[in-house]
Amino acid sequence: MTQTLQSAKGLRLIAHFDLCTGCEICQLVCSERLFGGFNPRLAALRIEHRRENLVHEPILCEQCHNPFCQNVCPVQAISLDEDTGARVIDPDTCIGCGLCASYCPRQVIVQDRESGKSVKCDLCNGDPLCVRACPTGALELIVQGGDHA
Amino acid sequence: MPKAWMGKFLFVDLGSGSSWTQEVPDWMRSKLMGGKAFGAKLLTDLTPAGCDPFAPENPLMIMTGPLTGTSAPSMRGCVVTKSPLTGTFLDSYFGGYFSPEVKYAGYDGIIILGQAQEPVYLWIDDDRVEVRPAAHLWGQDALEANAAVKSELNDETVKILSIGPAGENRVLYSLISCEYNRQAGRGGAGAVMGSKHLKAIAVRGTNTVTIHDPEAFRAAVIQANADLEKSEDVQAMRDGGTAPAVDFANETGLLPSRNFQDGSFEKASNLSDIGQSKHLWLNSAACLGCPIRCSKMGAVRTGKYAGFITDIVEYESAALMGSNLGISDVRAVAHLVKLCDRFGMDSMSTGGVIGFAMEAGERGLLESPDGISLEFGNVQAAEYLIRSIAFVDNDLGKLLAQGVKRAAAALGGDASAFAQHVKGLESPAWGPRGAAGTGLAFMTADRGGCHQRGLPAPLEVTGGEWEGKPVQALAVEGKADMLIQMQNYLAGTDALVKCDFGGFGVQPETYAALLSAATGERHTADEFDRLGERIWNLTRNFNLREGLNPADDTLPKRFMQDPLPSGPNKGHRFSAQDMAFMLKDYYSLRGWDQAGRPTEETLKKVGVQDLPKFEKSS
Ligand code: SF4
Ligand code: SF4
Ligand code: SF4
Repeated sequence: MTQTLQSAKGLRLIAHFDLCTGCEICQLVCSERLFGGFNPRLAALRIEHRRENLVHEPILCEQCHNPFCQNVCPVQAISLDEDTGARVIDPDTCIGCGLCASYCPRQVIVQDRESGKSVKCDLCNGDPLCVRACPTGALELIVQGGDHA
Repeated sequence: MPKAWMGKFLFVDLGSGSSWTQEVPDWMRSKLMGGKAFGAKLLTDLTPAGCDPFAPENPLMIMTGPLTGTSAPSMRGCVVTKSPLTGTFLDSYFGGYFSPEVKYAGYDGIIILGQAQEPVYLWIDDDRVEVRPAAHLWGQDALEANAAVKSELNDETVKILSIGPAGENRVLYSLISCEYNRQAGRGGAGAVMGSKHLKAIAVRGTNTVTIHDPEAFRAAVIQANADLEKSEDVQAMRDGGTAPAVDFANETGLLPSRNFQDGSFEKASNLSDIGQSKHLWLNSAACLGCPIRCSKMGAVRTGKYAGFITDIVEYESAALMGSNLGISDVRAVAHLVKLCDRFGMDSMSTGGVIGFAMEAGERGLLESPDGISLEFGNVQAAEYLIRSIAFVDNDLGKLLAQGVKRAAAALGGDASAFAQHVKGLESPAWGPRGAAGTGLAFMTADRGGCHQRGLPAPLEVTGGEWEGKPVQALAVEGKADMLIQMQNYLAGTDALVKCDFGGFGVQPETYAALLSAATGERHTADEFDRLGERIWNLTRNFNLREGLNPADDTLPKRFMQDPLPSGPNKGHRFSAQDMAFMLKDYYSLRGWDQAGRPTEETLKKVGVQDLPKFEKSS
């Protein structure tokens, strides 16, 4: 690690893969919010379909303590949002180099086709659409750490 | 262009290897909406009359609807082509993830023409279209080919349609596998794909489907989801898919047993949700954008067939490959259905064909091959037949690969008396001897023996109500009117292209609200009926042009000749008078002449006459 980063705390998305049906409704609503139209490929979360769809696993942005996305960004466009605990991209600073997307261990950063800039999960400012839209309760927003009581 | 549609069709000519796009004309969108209606019109305009289904001119089309790929719940896609099994219009619907991907790649539909010299697969990466060699995939089963294409393209997320050996060998009821556990199953679209030497179609799309009024659309989606939650039928689908229908059909005497010789089966519950949940199910799965999740994914874990993943054995397959063959071990049935899926043949027709062969065997019309006894209940014989059909490597396979209608004609004797089909399409798993309107539904369905073009059975046998009046199962009066309304609405919403199970819950007003918000045009709840009527005349016209004989608007002989031996409908069969009465009523309400042909006046009234011809540009 090249620098010591402030530890992220606050809100987190977690997945209960055993409840996930692979419907991708979470991705549909996420893509619509981020890009103004539907396409699950353009969501800031992924669903891995395995074993002929016997198993579906939501892959979410972990808002990492050690965020590779933030570490590799050459222009410091990514920072911690203190209110939510999300790692957020400042679109004005982002130069669209795509390094964050290529090094995110979860592969959940997407590129805006028009601007070329990177887009990631910002936890919808604390009220995630995906959680609201999931029909099975497979996604959950939790508060991390002890000092939020 | 209004939003929600992508605005263009992709044409691919496999003969020349060329591809081009064509705008979807405004009149198509406004008069036909999408899906089934687009397919019916294009098939009429693109095929020369009398076209051989295996000729290069027969288009293989994948159509979507305006709401496909959005968050509107439970939308699908369809394959449309001229069926090699029936020689008439074929539309086959599939869920999964493929049809949304077609839209994300930028198309409302894909139209494949011509015939490649060598095996190929199609790779559609947004607007980049490649015809790639597939000799190395030829012979693989549908799932192997799927995996091979993904690994070749180095992307697990591309969406794939593929065929198995049955499609390559032009088995007339071959399916197209729409990963995973979704199939364009009926009528032989897989054989048309095989005739084009097209092993697979892979698509990756990075465009978005956009909405005219996102806020109104979100409100309509909330309403649609509320409609679904309110519906008991949808809740039942969520709990057990269509599997509970096995017990229902058994109790009401509609379950095919031993090639429809009977209407009930002593071990039905082994095959229903009761047996399946115990032996197979582990998890629920859904198509893209669907909150219903009717798939019950699982695996055969123990016993002779152990070690494979299976979806729910849905009602039609459970009945036709189970009770219809006298087989009650649900793991064996799952095994047989999985073989059909992998080899790429319709498990409904295959069940019908094997039932026919077993009965022919028992009656001494068909000689059993060495070491295999053609008799009901014999799983080993069923498996032998499936392999023989898929690979057409013996005489029995060659005979049965043509479906029961042709096989019965070739066998001669009284074989046609127990060949269960309408217009060549093997009967669905509802023996209608106790439900008159259901008989009429099979007689008149546009693609032959089909249960998805209006199925009055559940209403008829439960004494449910229609327009405020209780429905009498055996009555013939009023059945044509009821059925026509069902057929029209279903066809209209097949232009959307909705999933039938979503349609159990989502109300016509809600579909209209979704459409209006998505497209920015005004849509109303009653337009699906009108559109359906237009479609029903379009497909009838096409079928007549292709040589459909209206005398084939009839039922399998067994339903007329053999009274049901047991159950609540014991002793009942269809009389010629009953059928003639309902058919006459049906034709007249449809505005068709006595020979079942739409009159000029009707074609004008329903707006078929004024539709321009779709001209392809190359
Ligand atoms: S985008 Fe990737 S690296 Fe960055 S916080 Fe999320 S999961 Fe971690
Ligand atoms: S919280 Fe919002 S941005 Fe993050 S994955 Fe869910 S919908 Fe997308
Ligand atoms: S909406 Fe829920 S069930 Fe559907 S794919 Fe997303 S996490 Fe899974």
